[in-house]
Amino acid sequence: MSDATLASQFARISRRRTAILMAGLAALLLSVTLDLMAGPADLGLADIARGLVDPAGMEPRFRVILWSVRLPDALIALGVGAALGLAGIEIQTVLNNPLASPYTLGIASAATFGAALTIVLAPAIPWLPAAAALPAMALAFALGAGGVVLLVTAALGGVRETVVLFGIAMLFLCEAATALLMYLANAEAVQQIVFWTIGSLTKAGWVELALVSLVFALVFPFSLRNVWALTLLRGGEEHARAIGVDVARLRRHAILRVSVLTAFAVCFVGSIGFVGLLGPHIARLVIGEDHRFLVPASALGGALLLSVASWLSKSLLPGVIIPVGILTAMAGVPFFVLLIMLGRRAGR
Amino acid sequence: MNLLEVEGVGFAYGRKPPVISDIGFPPLAGGQLLGLLGPNAAGKSTLMRCIADGRADTGTIRLLGQELAAMPRDERTRLVGYMPQTPPQPSSLTAYELVRSAAELTGMALGRGEIDALLHSLGLAVEAFRPLSALSGGKRQLVGLALALLRRPRLLLLDEPTSALDLYWRNIVLAQVRRHLAEAAAGAIVAFHDLDLAARYCDRLVLLDHGRVVAGGSPAEVLTPGNLARVYNVEAEILSGADGRIIVNTLRPLVAHPTHGESRC
Repeated sequence: MSDATLASQFARISRRRTAILMAGLAALLLSVTLDLMAGPADLGLADIARGLVDPAGMEPRFRVILWSVRLPDALIALGVGAALGLAGIEIQTVLNNPLASPYTLGIASAATFGAALTIVLAPAIPWLPAAAALPAMALAFALGAGGVVLLVTAALGGVRETVVLFGIAMLFLCEAATALLMYLANAEAVQQIVFWTIGSLTKAGWVELALVSLVFALVFPFSLRNVWALTLLRGGEEHARAIGVDVARLRRHAILRVSVLTAFAVCFVGSIGFVGLLGPHIARLVIGEDHRFLVPASALGGALLLSVASWLSKSLLPGVIIPVGILTAMAGVPFFVLLIMLGRRAGR
Repeated sequence: MNLLEVEGVGFAYGRKPPVISDIGFPPLAGGQLLGLLGPNAAGKSTLMRCIADGRADTGTIRLLGQELAAMPRDERTRLVGYMPQTPPQPSSLTAYELVRSAAELTGMALGRGEIDALLHSLGLAVEAFRPLSALSGGKRQLVGLALALLRRPRLLLLDEPTSALDLYWRNIVLAQVRRHLAEAAAGAIVAFHDLDLAARYCDRLVLLDHGRVVAGGSPAEVLTPGNLARVYNVEAEILSGADGRIIVNTLRPLVAHPTHGESRC
């Protein structure tokens, strides 16, 4: 084997991984197209294409369906899925835990508590605009929980086990607080809280989409800046430190990014399970551990999963839109088991 | 100029009693290999970490005349190559990806085949693109060594680098370390449990017990039946090989030794 062989082999592998990312983007395009076509209104591919290029030329009723319902739903699926996928890979790597997900730190539970609190309190405060207050409170509580986890992490030196334990404690605390609210609330409020906790893309519109997209666009470059350090961290914390990586700082910054991504992802659509766990696992299986590819592939994987789930949620039962959170939870478990089996077969 | 000076170093984890106290030895010069010996929990790994991090509760650690504690992290990690006792963890990451990420992070000039040459020299070329989880403990230990050697550091700190290696690779690895020391005018501190190997490859030895230096000097001065009985609780005879090098023949454990108890392991 000549000296240049390994380097050229690595370059070949990198080119193949780039091609996989491109194929993933193509799959995403296909999935969004199917998602846009799904629904009771009979809109074919040509109608969708024409409506996107020339909205004014479209029949008003179809224009409303495409531009006010289907397009924001399809795109928020991409935004939320990508945010959860990106948050998932960062948290799995910095906690060195394949079972970690964006929800491990208790951020989604805090968002749920914030939403539940608003639902219970809103009728008592007449001037509170419930429609805007609900996501705002969910966001505030989610960011607050992320901030607390971050402060504790910093205070305790960024030790991995501490982060996980504190995150889980936060999760149980918020769930207990939500349960208490539900116990005290009236039946209508309980129904609203339950409905909020079942993630659904139909809750969001263009403004929410713009916010989620903006947050993702702001955070993603910072994630990409750390891809070599994240790759090195997969070899073990001590080795990364020996090379000069400030692991505690890397972990704190990643937790900050995960907190912001998760908070914005769940505050508008509710908790959508398994996307932040499965997206990175699928990406890892397909593309490997080189985080230059794994980080974008995880975001892509999350977006693809949620986009497919969005399409299926409108296609499985004619005339019925199943909340996408139910679909991801139901399909997530067997899919996750399958991934574990595939991973074991591949020796990973 | 001395390469490394270690004087009066002590360290405790949190508020616990010190793990090492008043550790010091004569300055290490370029080209020298210092062997660190001692039973489990003697403080070898803690001393290595103190030097690697430039951090100790007491005493001073100077590299090339400069206090390590005051040295910027980038400069310290460029000058010091530290291989922890635990090899890189099993994962689907490959050896090449791990070493490459280290090279990219430290801003090494790539393209001249350094990584290829390094992995070839450590017998890792065939496994370079296999997941670390598919490699044996010994192979992962070699990957850890590749990380430490990558930047051709002036000081190598290797914590039991040969513990998972077979006889052949133990000798290859230590010969390679010696070659690096000669080529880069570097020094090395290597922790050993294999006394014969230490006697063969080290210029000087330091024997630790309960976090303190018990003996220091040439292999002949340190590896004596008295020192081995006192520190390792074994009866041993010291033989001389055909080429004059020291061979430790362990005869039997001295079970009644008061310093050996369950707490040590």
